[in-house]
Amino acid sequence: MPMDEVALDHAHDDHDHKPGFFVRWFMSTNHKDIGTLYLIFALIAGIVGYALSGLIRWELAHPDIGPLMGMMEYFYGLEGDAAREQAKQFYNTVITYHGLIMIFFMVMPALIGGFGNWFVPLMIGAPDMAFPRMNNISFWLTVAGFALLIMSMFVPSGNGGNGFGGGWVLYPPLSGLKGHSGPAMDLVILSLHTVGIASILGAINFIVTILNMRAPGMTMHKMPLFAWSILVTAALLLLALPVLAGALTMLLTDRNFGSQFFVPEGGGDPIMFQHLFWFFGHPEVYIMILPGFGIVSHIISTFSKKPIFGYLGMAYAMVAIGVIGFIVWAHHMYTVGMPVDMKAYFVAATMVIAVPTGIKIFSWIATMWGGSITFAVPMQWAIGFIFLFTLGGVTGVVLANAGVDHALHDTYYVVAHFHYVLSLGAVFALFAGWYYWFEKMFGVKYNGFLGGLHFWVTFIGSNMIFFPQHFLGLNGMPRRYVDYNPAYEYWHYWSSIGYAVSAVGTGIFFLCMADAFLRRRKAEANPWGEGATTLEWTLPSPPPFHQYNTLPRVKDTGDH
Amino acid sequence: MRYLVSLLSALSLGFAGTALAQGKPTDGALGFQEPVTEIARRGFAFHDSFLLWMCILITLFVALLLVFVMVRYNAKANPVPSKTTHNTFIEIVWTLVPVGILVLISIVSFPLLYYVDAEPDLAKIASGEVDATAEERAAAADGWITVKAQGNQWNWTYSYPDEVDADGFALEFTSNPLHYGLSTDPDIGERYLSVDYPLVVPAGRYVRYYTAASDVIHSFAMPSFGIKTDAVPGRLNEGWFKVDEPDVYYGQCSELCGKNHAFMPIEIRVVPQAQYDAWLAIMRSGDFDAAAQRVAVIETDQQFARLPAAE
Amino acid sequence: MAHDEVRHDYHLVNPSAWPLLGSLAVSTLAVGGVTYMKGLFGFEKGSWYLMAFGFAFVAYVMFGWWREVIKESRGGDHTPVVQIGLRYGMLMFIASEVMFFVAWFWSFFEMTIFHGARAGVTFDSANVLYEGLSAWSSWPPPGVETFNPFHLPLINTMILLLSGTTVTWAHHALQHGNRKDTRNGLILTILLGALFTTVQVIEYAEAGFSYSGTLYGSAFFMATGFHGAHVLIGTIFLAVCLFRLMAGGFTPQKHFGFEAAAWYWHFVDVVWLFLFAFVYVAPYLILEGG
Ligand code: HEA
Ligand code: HEA
Ligand code: CUA
Ligand SMILES: [Cu+2]
Repeated sequence: MPMDEVALDHAHDDHDHKPGFFVRWFMSTNHKDIGTLYLIFALIAGIVGYALSGLIRWELAHPDIGPLMGMMEYFYGLEGDAAREQAKQFYNTVITYHGLIMIFFMVMPALIGGFGNWFVPLMIGAPDMAFPRMNNISFWLTVAGFALLIMSMFVPSGNGGNGFGGGWVLYPPLSGLKGHSGPAMDLVILSLHTVGIASILGAINFIVTILNMRAPGMTMHKMPLFAWSILVTAALLLLALPVLAGALTMLLTDRNFGSQFFVPEGGGDPIMFQHLFWFFGHPEVYIMILPGFGIVSHIISTFSKKPIFGYLGMAYAMVAIGVIGFIVWAHHMYTVGMPVDMKAYFVAATMVIAVPTGIKIFSWIATMWGGSITFAVPMQWAIGFIFLFTLGGVTGVVLANAGVDHALHDTYYVVAHFHYVLSLGAVFALFAGWYYWFEKMFGVKYNGFLGGLHFWVTFIGSNMIFFPQHFLGLNGMPRRYVDYNPAYEYWHYWSSIGYAVSAVGTGIFFLCMADAFLRRRKAEANPWGEGATTLEWTLPSPPPFHQYNTLPRVKDTGDH
Repeated sequence: MRYLVSLLSALSLGFAGTALAQGKPTDGALGFQEPVTEIARRGFAFHDSFLLWMCILITLFVALLLVFVMVRYNAKANPVPSKTTHNTFIEIVWTLVPVGILVLISIVSFPLLYYVDAEPDLAKIASGEVDATAEERAAAADGWITVKAQGNQWNWTYSYPDEVDADGFALEFTSNPLHYGLSTDPDIGERYLSVDYPLVVPAGRYVRYYTAASDVIHSFAMPSFGIKTDAVPGRLNEGWFKVDEPDVYYGQCSELCGKNHAFMPIEIRVVPQAQYDAWLAIMRSGDFDAAAQRVAVIETDQQFARLPAAE
Repeated sequence: MAHDEVRHDYHLVNPSAWPLLGSLAVSTLAVGGVTYMKGLFGFEKGSWYLMAFGFAFVAYVMFGWWREVIKESRGGDHTPVVQIGLRYGMLMFIASEVMFFVAWFWSFFEMTIFHGARAGVTFDSANVLYEGLSAWSSWPPPGVETFNPFHLPLINTMILLLSGTTVTWAHHALQHGNRKDTRNGLILTILLGALFTTVQVIEYAEAGFSYSGTLYGSAFFMATGFHGAHVLIGTIFLAVCLFRLMAGGFTPQKHFGFEAAAWYWHFVDVVWLFLFAFVYVAPYLILEGG
């Protein structure tokens, strides 16, 4: 990319005026501070989501309802059968909140809110976001949404126990009055409304920033791929989220004001909710992965010391993925009783997405081809990402075939698929970005050995968690089961062991962070050398409170 | 290379055939349960001998490329990076080859989908108008067995709309799990899979099933049949299967339906026609326990028996 | 040198308490809403105080926030490039609103188009097996008296179309510095908006079906009601513009607030045309036609 030739004449000034603590962090209108807030928030939410997945794996390590029943006995003073009944509901709430938290409060805030806020303005040469104050309410509404969600875990479900236990997809009638009549589900709905508004405002902000605030000379076709990825992501958010909000509103009024959208007795249709949900939900999965694609592109290019291969193809592949992502939603619904021709359409449309995704995978490899590759920590995560995402992607293509999905739908095969693209895809990209930009953001260096160890232990651990789940799924193990026939124990047990390994990895991560922040080794402006060509590396680390008081000028290199 | 091929086919055999028992999961299995319907045989074969290979080959291909570039183009081996950013030919190749693979997949996938999803036309099969074995023609001539499975929180109500009980209503009964809720006694039947009154259908007959639900969404799933159909309140979904081998087969509710979602199994006893008729006769009289007893041992050469009764 | 000089036209907004307050307000409203609908934390179902407070809080934040924006605009922060950004922003916002309406139309169309399939026409033995589908046996469902689109709805269509022209008149006048015509145009638009709402209320009062009870009622009232809410918001938005105009705001060159309100109004107008065509007229004609 042409960003390597940039004329800059800003004064390097670390000690520019920053507001006092409260004003700086609670009333912020600074994209970097807001980005940092998002990252801290995502880290906290990630720890909660991570702990919940620990409960899942602990419970499923062996048949029988064990650990969760113990928890019910301990926390609620219930005994025997009462504890067991409560534990069943509790399990369902655990997986539901695990899914919701990981998606809406960990991956999205980290990749879009965190890295997007930090690096979109820096990379396109803008002094801040287009609407800095609105940027801040996006963040605080995300926090509010999280607070509402956590609150809902502890209020009555209405049908025994606390919290909503209907899965992150919120299908009525289970999420309606019939399944969960209590306030827990209403709080979930309002939580998602809130975080949805936050995301829509954030999406508007990113789109306007990218369209309107690129530095002089930076045409769309010279814009760094991460900015492209956030642009497409924001467009998806803008168009998909309102549909979810609509579905949630209908659900809310079904629950409270007697409407019949999803109530069969009044002519309503539960399947209609599924259509609306997945019309949002499928674009949502690309919302979670596209920023990761952007991050990985920069890392691969930086550490291969080569410009990205096929830049335009990469950018438009993301656009294609975004567009096609809107017309494939019903591949989540092959078993609901759709006409066979409709299924056939969705099979075909879904598989088409493999093509632009393949273009990205191969372009990354082609970028490395002929390069001079070094294996710093971010590069390890990025290469891990490419491999694991491919693995998760091809199982997606298996699922796309409705004839086979009849057997695999709602089994652990699906769980394995989406954790490969999410937990081993989006999260690996997240850590890649974290280690890539860490010095830039925080002004301190981390210990590369610990970072590498974190990668390897996590790599081994998460593969151990999720690879065996393919076998479980093929053999018929259904999802969202608190307990199972002993014939599934072998692989469930390995999966849980894998969790323990990944927990060690997470421990190393915290060690690595503690080491970095306590030792405070001073960061360089550009630790990665000549391969790192985007604008953020021309600034000191951390960048000044307000950067680009004089806008950088991107020279026309006539490249590509 | 030969070695590699034989290793891989051994692996794929492992995926396909580790499940020795019919109709239920096997510990440590790598692949599907043993398929017992044509739907499952075709679907699983599509996966085991095509999709799985596609997954392995593509993932391996990407992995090998990654290893290759890491070895060949690391900073030590290649200190001076090239600046190549374009190669139209290779870009066309990596667009068209995946398209080709997907077209290949579709060629197999669509006929399978239509086979599974479109109910076979028994009249045509019986008359030999479509390609069918003699056995299939005979089965088709006997017509449909129709059953309906209604999901409830948390059990299944089965009915036989074509079979009338003593009071003139369609035969109907509710099937509760033996491990319903609290009981986890491991000595009763297959744990979390066995029920008190199983669904009984004759072997070698075309069975058409409808699914419905009385409260929330459930899903009628039989892994070894390769079928899964959601039971949605306010809707009626349908599907079909034909099992030739008399045996006991298990499935489980496969749509989250509340706290006992894991405890609403499906047990289907596929029995010879004569035994089915005998069972039906007892069911019509209303003595469900006696009827269940009548199918506790499946009357074939192998005599499959309900677990505790066998001891 | 504590600062290098800012040499760009973007607007670096000062730190502000509104976002944090806004988030608190929304949380209060949400918790208050659930308390009202379900009862929470020992409060009875139906206790509305917290919700009302939340509403007031949200309204207060909106008021304070936008007042600050107007102040900044007056202070010269809205340079041409910032104004372009505001325009893009408003367009994006309207795009997201369009997708919101997609959800309502979706539910309406599903019922309209697929009721035959749902009623079991495709299943031969369906009727023997399941009787819960009577709600879908015809469309609109049995017992639902739909509106004649050529009475009140047609009048409302005329009202909205007219208001679209009056707001454009106001816009032109503003661009040409004719503040009196701008004022008149605005007042007319607001009155027409209020008239629309009134007619809508009358129509609702005459409805032979209700929000609860059938999918038809739910889908109808959700779509038209959500639109009605937008008319109200748009009317308020225009009223705010009128106040600003009277207080001496807006110049022929710079009046983005007014433009945003006008765009919003046109959007509301267009949505109505879709509602009129697909929710009122088309079904009516189909029914009449047999
Ligand atoms: C980041 C998130 C993410 C991503 C990127 C994807 C990507 C894909 N997903 Fe996945 N998916 C989920 C998250 C994601 N998914 C989630 C969360 C669920 C479950 C939701 C729930 O029910 O709770 C789900 C469920 C799900 C289902 C429903 C399963 C079921 O419930 O029965 C299906 C079915 O079609 C599917 C398909 C696909 C496909 C085809 C892709 C494709 O985009 C993948 C494309 C990538 C590749 C194919 C690899 C790289 C390509 C090449 C190397 C080129 C050569 C390849 C070929 C020629 C094949 N996904
Ligand atoms: C992004 C999404 C995401 C992520 C990361 C994970 C991570 C994990 N998930 Fe899952 N999961 C879901 C999304 C995710 N999950 C969804 C949507 C469902 C479906 C819910 C439903 O059925 O409704 C689900 C369901 C699900 C199930 C199935 C439950 C069931 O059906 O009964 C299981 C079972 O093992 C499981 C386990 C795990 C485990 C062990 C991890 C571990 O891999 C965790 C490892 C994670 C890390 C190592 C990263 C932790 C991250 C941080 C600490 C933040 C870092 C932040 C910064 C640096 C800023 N998850
Ligand atoms: Cu019934 Cu799950
Ligand atoms: Cu999808």
